[in-house]
Amino acid sequence: MNTVKQFFQTLIKYLAVLLLLFILVSPIYWIFVSSFKPTPELIRVTPTFIPHTLTLFHYLGLLKETNFMRYFLNSIYVATGSSLLVVILTSLAGYSIYRCRYIGRYFFFHMLLAIYIFPRVLLLLSLYPVFAKVNLVDNLLSLVITYVGITAPFNVWIMRAFFTSVPLELEDAALVDGANRLQILFKIFLPLVAPGIAAVAINSFLMSYGEYLFASILIISDEYKTLPVGMAQFLQGYEISWGWLASGSVLIILPPVIGFAFLGKYFIKGLTAGAIK
Amino acid sequence: MIEKIKRKVLEDPLFGYFLVAPIVLWVFATLFYPLLRAIYMSFLNIEFLGERGRFIGWENYARILGDKEFGLSFIRTLIWSGANVLLQIILAFFAALVLDLEFKGQKFIRNWILLPWVIPVIVLAMIFRWMLDPSLGVVNYVLEKTNIVSSPIPFLGSVDWVMITAILVNTWRWFPFYAVMILATLQIIPVQLYEAAKIDGASPFQQFCYITLPHIMPVLVTVILICSLWAVNVFDMIWLLTRGGPGNATQTFPIFIYQKGFQEYRLSQAATAAVFMFILLLIYGTVYLRTITLEEK
Repeated sequence: MNTVKQFFQTLIKYLAVLLLLFILVSPIYWIFVSSFKPTPELIRVTPTFIPHTLTLFHYLGLLKETNFMRYFLNSIYVATGSSLLVVILTSLAGYSIYRCRYIGRYFFFHMLLAIYIFPRVLLLLSLYPVFAKVNLVDNLLSLVITYVGITAPFNVWIMRAFFTSVPLELEDAALVDGANRLQILFKIFLPLVAPGIAAVAINSFLMSYGEYLFASILIISDEYKTLPVGMAQFLQGYEISWGWLASGSVLIILPPVIGFAFLGKYFIKGLTAGAIK
Repeated sequence: MIEKIKRKVLEDPLFGYFLVAPIVLWVFATLFYPLLRAIYMSFLNIEFLGERGRFIGWENYARILGDKEFGLSFIRTLIWSGANVLLQIILAFFAALVLDLEFKGQKFIRNWILLPWVIPVIVLAMIFRWMLDPSLGVVNYVLEKTNIVSSPIPFLGSVDWVMITAILVNTWRWFPFYAVMILATLQIIPVQLYEAAKIDGASPFQQFCYITLPHIMPVLVTVILICSLWAVNVFDMIWLLTRGGPGNATQTFPIFIYQKGFQEYRLSQAATAAVFMFILLLIYGTVYLRTITLEEK
């Protein structure tokens, strides 16, 4: 009697796990196999769930006949630049807000979180004329500047858990040894909050790498387009090349997924610690 | 002596300001200044990019409030965000409960559950446009083969279906994010509570209602707030899937403002609509937080 009940409990448990896995993985599996199918098989009325023949045809076409590589490099450039700046800004701000005592630090913290109620389109409306005035429209720098502003505040929050978990005694000991605060920040804190820096780096990279709204307005010429804007062109028009879209999808996913494989656990740690405080 | 050194060094406010200054200045320049400027723009009559505009008082506000499309997009925004919050929280709850169980590969899935969130929105738009295509899409193929539907559903092509489709796709992207946050709280509920409840003969459902839910409430409140603020702000997912169409069926606030500003080039009217959106979000955020802090007391 008990074993029957246990059997059913296990069965339900694994069915739930399978359902979750199916929800998560099936769309990604589908685009992955589609990208390797030759065109006739790709657009057949009865789709093949396991491809009969595999080909790199769409990948080669995408790289040779479109500006994909250009978009790709632009995206990497913008995302790396923003990520680097966000790491610097949030490390300094994290130490200041979570470890220094001065009037107004709570105000800064709340101010940084409050910006998430600003509608982004609203920012875009007035950022465009500003960038136009300083000749930064159609320049990748305008994207870097904007992305740092948008992503940095949330990442200060992600840093919180990492900074608050460093024991006070370490700081005290260093002070007694005659270190100044800048030395404490660089020699003691930065190595200890390295996981937090990793979390912030991957998060801001992901957010800038896939941003569409600002990139669609601030960039005009094709040579400066980032992946989201460049690929969005392929979605328009009557003849959509599904092969290019599928192979493009797989290539676009690669950098974020590789980055996440290495640094994802730190981001999850930051998010987790932020949630439970 | 040590105390003295400590106090002197730690309470040096200049150092704190010095470190926080870069981010504050950056955020001020890229977020606060544009916000103020947009509010100013809403009182001018700028009709194209680069024009200076003339002060016209509340005229834009009167015009936007009289715009039927604006009212409709407000209702669509409510439907969009309400449904997104509801579905995302339910799915996140399910995922968190599953990941809280012991099973093979649990660690692996816990790390990779964020996969949909890691993938850029443009790729999700391409994947789902491909899967949901009426003639070539795999979803319609499976639905027809299993006799669930008799003719293909135009998921993104019909006014009746497009909203729910976009909501589901957006839910798929965001539920893992909240699942991670909910899972974090599930894990700090003391196991002894469940053991005691079991001894007292509480059913799993009772355990859920009397132990799990109360423990999760504080995080749930935060999650719902973040989730709704972000849902209202979603632009790229809707735009890349549907461009606000067909026939404006998925035209929420951000889409309305984008089209007004960058397709019709009525920048001042777009700014006015955006200011309305900002004020509504501000009221929502404040009221929501107020109610919650009152309840906690």
